[in-house]
Amino acid sequence: MNVREWALVAFTILAQMSVGAFVVLGLVHAWAMQRYSPDKADQLSDRALLAIGPTLALGLLASLFHLGNPLFAYRAVFNLASSWLSREIALGSTFALLGALFAFLQWRKIGSFELRNVVALLAATVGLVLVYAMARVYMLPTQPAWNTWATPVSFFVTTFLLGTLAIGAAFVATYWWEWRGGRLQGSALAEMLRPVLRTLALAGIVLLGLEFVVAPLSVALMATGGAAASVGILTSQYGVMFALRLALVFLGAGVFGLWLYRTALRPGAETLLGRLAWTAFALVFVSEVLGRFLFYATHVKIGL
Amino acid sequence: MNQKHILKRPLDHTVSRRSFLKWNAVIGGTAVLAGMGLKMGRLVTLAAPSAPPTATEGQWVTAACWHNCGGRCLLKAYVVDGVVQRLKTDDTHPDSPDFPQQRACQRGRANRMQVLGPDRLKYPMKRAHWTPGGGDKSLRGRDTWLRISWDEALNLVAGEIKRIKESYGNGAILGEVNAGMERTLALYGGYATSWGSTSWGTWPDVGPAMAGPYGDSYSNTGNDRLRLRQSKLIIVWGANPAWTSGGNPAYNYLQAKKAGAKFIFIDPFYNESAQVLADEWIPIRPATDIALLLGMAYVMITEDSKTNPLIDWDFLNRCTVGFDKDHMPAGADPKANFRDYVLGTYDGKPKDPRWASEICGVLPEKIHELAIEYATTHPTTIINGGTTTRVHRAEDTAQAFMTLACMAGNIGLPGAGVGLSVHNRGGNAGPSLVTSGGTGVQALKNNIDIRLNQNELWDAVLSGHYTAGKGDSRKVDIRMVYYDARSTLNQKPGATKGIRAHREKLEFVVAQAYALTTQAKFADIILPVTTPWEKEGGFLTGNREILIFYSKVTEPLFEARDDLWIAKEIGKRLGVDVAQIDPISDKQKIFNQLMGAKVMKPDGSGMETLVTITDSDIKEWGVQGKPQPGRISVADFKARGVYQVERKPGDRLGFTEFEKFRQDPAAAPRETPSKKIEIHCKTLADKITAYGWTVKSPLPVYQRIEEGYEDTFYDWDNKVKGDYPLQMYTIHYRRRAHSNFDNVSWLREAFHQPVIMNPTDAEARGIQDGEVVKVSSRHGTVLRPVYLTNRMMPGVVTLGEGAWIELDEATGYDTAGNTNILNGGIPTGQGHAGWNSCNVEVEKYYGTQLADHKWPQRIL
Amino acid sequence: MSRQLAFHVNAAVCTGCKACQVACKDKNNLEVGRLFRRVYDVDGGGWVERNGFMEPNVFAYSLSISCMHCQSPLCLEVCPTGATFKRADGIVMVNKDVCIGCRYCEWACPYGARQFNEATGQSSKCDFCADLLDKGEQPACVATCPQRALEIGELSELQAKYGATSQVYPLPEADLTQPSIVITPHPAMLLANANTARVAKPGEV
Repeated sequence: MNVREWALVAFTILAQMSVGAFVVLGLVHAWAMQRYSPDKADQLSDRALLAIGPTLALGLLASLFHLGNPLFAYRAVFNLASSWLSREIALGSTFALLGALFAFLQWRKIGSFELRNVVALLAATVGLVLVYAMARVYMLPTQPAWNTWATPVSFFVTTFLLGTLAIGAAFVATYWWEWRGGRLQGSALAEMLRPVLRTLALAGIVLLGLEFVVAPLSVALMATGGAAASVGILTSQYGVMFALRLALVFLGAGVFGLWLYRTALRPGAETLLGRLAWTAFALVFVSEVLGRFLFYATHVKIGL
Repeated sequence: MNQKHILKRPLDHTVSRRSFLKWNAVIGGTAVLAGMGLKMGRLVTLAAPSAPPTATEGQWVTAACWHNCGGRCLLKAYVVDGVVQRLKTDDTHPDSPDFPQQRACQRGRANRMQVLGPDRLKYPMKRAHWTPGGGDKSLRGRDTWLRISWDEALNLVAGEIKRIKESYGNGAILGEVNAGMERTLALYGGYATSWGSTSWGTWPDVGPAMAGPYGDSYSNTGNDRLRLRQSKLIIVWGANPAWTSGGNPAYNYLQAKKAGAKFIFIDPFYNESAQVLADEWIPIRPATDIALLLGMAYVMITEDSKTNPLIDWDFLNRCTVGFDKDHMPAGADPKANFRDYVLGTYDGKPKDPRWASEICGVLPEKIHELAIEYATTHPTTIINGGTTTRVHRAEDTAQAFMTLACMAGNIGLPGAGVGLSVHNRGGNAGPSLVTSGGTGVQALKNNIDIRLNQNELWDAVLSGHYTAGKGDSRKVDIRMVYYDARSTLNQKPGATKGIRAHREKLEFVVAQAYALTTQAKFADIILPVTTPWEKEGGFLTGNREILIFYSKVTEPLFEARDDLWIAKEIGKRLGVDVAQIDPISDKQKIFNQLMGAKVMKPDGSGMETLVTITDSDIKEWGVQGKPQPGRISVADFKARGVYQVERKPGDRLGFTEFEKFRQDPAAAPRETPSKKIEIHCKTLADKITAYGWTVKSPLPVYQRIEEGYEDTFYDWDNKVKGDYPLQMYTIHYRRRAHSNFDNVSWLREAFHQPVIMNPTDAEARGIQDGEVVKVSSRHGTVLRPVYLTNRMMPGVVTLGEGAWIELDEATGYDTAGNTNILNGGIPTGQGHAGWNSCNVEVEKYYGTQLADHKWPQRIL
Repeated sequence: MSRQLAFHVNAAVCTGCKACQVACKDKNNLEVGRLFRRVYDVDGGGWVERNGFMEPNVFAYSLSISCMHCQSPLCLEVCPTGATFKRADGIVMVNKDVCIGCRYCEWACPYGARQFNEATGQSSKCDFCADLLDKGEQPACVATCPQRALEIGELSELQAKYGATSQVYPLPEADLTQPSIVITPHPAMLLANANTARVAKPGEV
């Protein structure tokens, strides 16, 4: 792996996490609105929303390092007609623009609530299509290790797993920020935080289960789908890394997720909650980076 | 700067036009240069496209492809404003099998990288720890270098030659010279030389002794390429023309195959020629061919009958002596006939297929089959590479080939033949159909008669003794070596000892070179020379149908000078008559060759003048000469760069060796005592015995040889293998022409110089394909990646000759895989190199080594 | 019918000398590591015992390969900038004014035709020596082949002349991209033990 391929790891992970976070945040916001009020919901999600932009920007920036001539990256959208890479870049940019527009509207509370909702919904839809496009980029007939349904499924699992845990971590950060500023008194934040965290932790566990179904299945799929060479590389050179990746995600989303789930209902223990949410996120993040590294490191092209 | 320009910038050369022109297009990788800490921004980078767009149209100049590669092809350089941009090959006429273009090979196509590569030597250099008298000799080959001026370099070289002559005499100067310094040193009182057959093995003495001098008996015999198509069977025996003969030979064989010839390859390796030509491959152990030949002879002798004739008695009786007791040459013991030797009548050892198979490894049934096929298929040609006779004591082998061909009558008939068919004339025998004239320069006599055999060369330097003949050991005291254009240290057997001689004995070593060759690396003073691309022009002869007339392609690079300029400058400083060193101007020499160029008349009756010369040519060239009518004008010849005689099947230019002799031996007698081909050959026996190393029988007999198959055993009778249980033979490698081109990155990338081995042998040693392995002989050790393949027979390995020695000083191993490190230099027979009889062991190596093309280039 | 230039590769006569590869490097000024044309040496088979002696049953052949100028070039389909295009005569080319060096084409091409130029940060490849073709000359590789194993022509015409083989070991399935190549097979490709073929000296290609 060289700089160019690490750039792709960074881009795909950060972009997928951004999409996942945006969607999860939207769901949490919708729940909070119903359960509490639009204002309270905004209180919960506005700061987290602002963190998504820079994450996505960082991912897009990283993608430039993949190019031989990054100054002309814009040309990458010239071939929407047939290139999934073009579509990926176009969708990525559109998602970024819609997301930024929504964040701006939301921040300044411009436009009606409904309008903002439409923009958010649009952004989320584009984001999800983006994740699909990202997967399609790799589903080349000459890349048997990638050219399976496991690619989009695992990309979506990454999207939601990282999105969920990132949002959990962001909420904890928001909480901590408000607490440090002494603004927690009378805020609905404390009230909302625990059930949200509990739900996110549960979602994480469910997604983990999915991951544990997808990861071995995708290897099996590689073995039968003409990518035996990739399986060979994975097991001979990267066996330890693959095991570590599974261990980390299990520890993060599973062990810490469960712990978070159980702790979320216990009164007090704010510090512990924070640590749990962040540790779970960090472990899963590292695991997903390793997983993506393996994705690139083990592909073997058909032919010469 | 607009966007278009930002993008374009990396595409353009970073050098200014002026510096670009000044330095010519020296091409090379900047990464390498940067890695070596050199600031040579003027070097053009390769990744950039060929050239900045230019308004000037370039011109195609015929560029020399001068290497001793086994081919001779047309190369043209596209030159724009003095800068060589790319090469092309022959497009002077449409291509057809009968009248083929003279197409350049991979080496020729890489010539730009050789001449204009970043590792060209640029300035005279002096070894940092050398002082007149030797300095620290042990640092030769690993010292640092100091740039010096030409004047200082020439003064130092002349000063040392003078000092050594005055202290020790001319015999202390070993002259490995042939590019000009041979004249200077001859005028200065002479110099010791080295000698010995290399490429052609033992044929140079065997052929003429048995049959008298014949056409081109040393390097090529048999049929011309069109008559070769009449062969029904072609046995390629120890030859791989696809590797050893660049240009058309492999293509010519393909035409014979298309015409219906069956091809049998007899070789330890299923080689690249076999892959396109072979109908059958018979693997055989190196250095054991004579056993197979004798085994075949046994079958022919014992199974021949009136109803089933396997021996051409008519030919034997009319044209040979020595086959049986009734046809012995005058004065010879009738018992010493070939037939009875093979049958074992007197020694009790029949040389039957079973006996042969134990030695050569060919199944007895296969020997039988081959003998019958050879004896009953007419015409059959045996194409010999040099390999079978680059074997210790292999006079017997060459003699046996000739004998077997006589027995079968597969000699002197169109489509039949035997003997060497190699190099650029491979598969295309016969006198040249077009030749250049002489330069007009006469050779000068060397008054020193110290002649050191190549096998003993470094021993002689170290020990002070050499063999001058049978019972004639003489003293010698070599103190300096002058290398001008010879690659002796790298290319002669016993290089391990050669390095010792350089590091222990020699007081002074000087080398002329255009890259840091092994000789230059182990020298004290390096003088950078021009390549033929930088010279006025000249001629190259290749196969019999062509004459190439090349021209200057580029001005001399950096401070490189012509070999003859150096010879004269040193001569001046030695006080010799410089006028004799280079008595004729370059232009006049070329013109003399043009004037004297001859071409065969279409009816084959004799040669006629080739080049039309007019008064205006003479005036334009500024030379002496007389107008003459010919077939092609000077200007046309120069523009085309080649004159090729057009051949057609059935024309009068065909050739078959011994054809007239076979038709009427009395009318066309051989120059031998019996006027016939001598199977029992006292001339040969006496000649070989007189060299002083081994005793030769008048017959082709089997002898256990030094480092042959038997020597791989500790106990032959019980078949217990010894310390060096594998046989190694050396091959001409595609990356190089001998040692030339070894430094060229494009070729290093294409060919990784592996040692080739059978997987069974590797398995027994725990060796995996592609790994680096350690190959050791009694004489030295090299490291090489291994190519495991069933194409190689078990028990045998091979390695390409010519790699530039790269010593790992910590272990003493040669990491480049130079085969002369493994070959000991064992003098036998006529003092030929016995490269293909060498015993080795191959072991797993636990270190790592980069592929050759990733090594830093030798840039001074 | 649209035009499609193609290479004919006669594997039966190729000795693997790599003159084509080096001529290509000279013509295109390619640094070490970048090969528009490569030659694969393939070997296989083994030894069988007969009366206590081992007898060979081995084979070898060489295959010279460059860009296949495919009829369905995957590199063109995936190229995000449109820098990859097909000329009217079917040559797949890269527009140097457009390519941004994303290297996606390298992932897509099953023939290893795409070679990244580190100096320009762009993709590069065999362009059939289009500049020479336009002048009526032959590509450098074709003009230098000492065995006359390479030839160019209109795909349909070459197919009519030499048959339609476009997939031999070690080439990938022709269905992937429909390569514009016509191969005269080496006899060894049809042997019973052809399945033991492997690329020899893989480091050299």
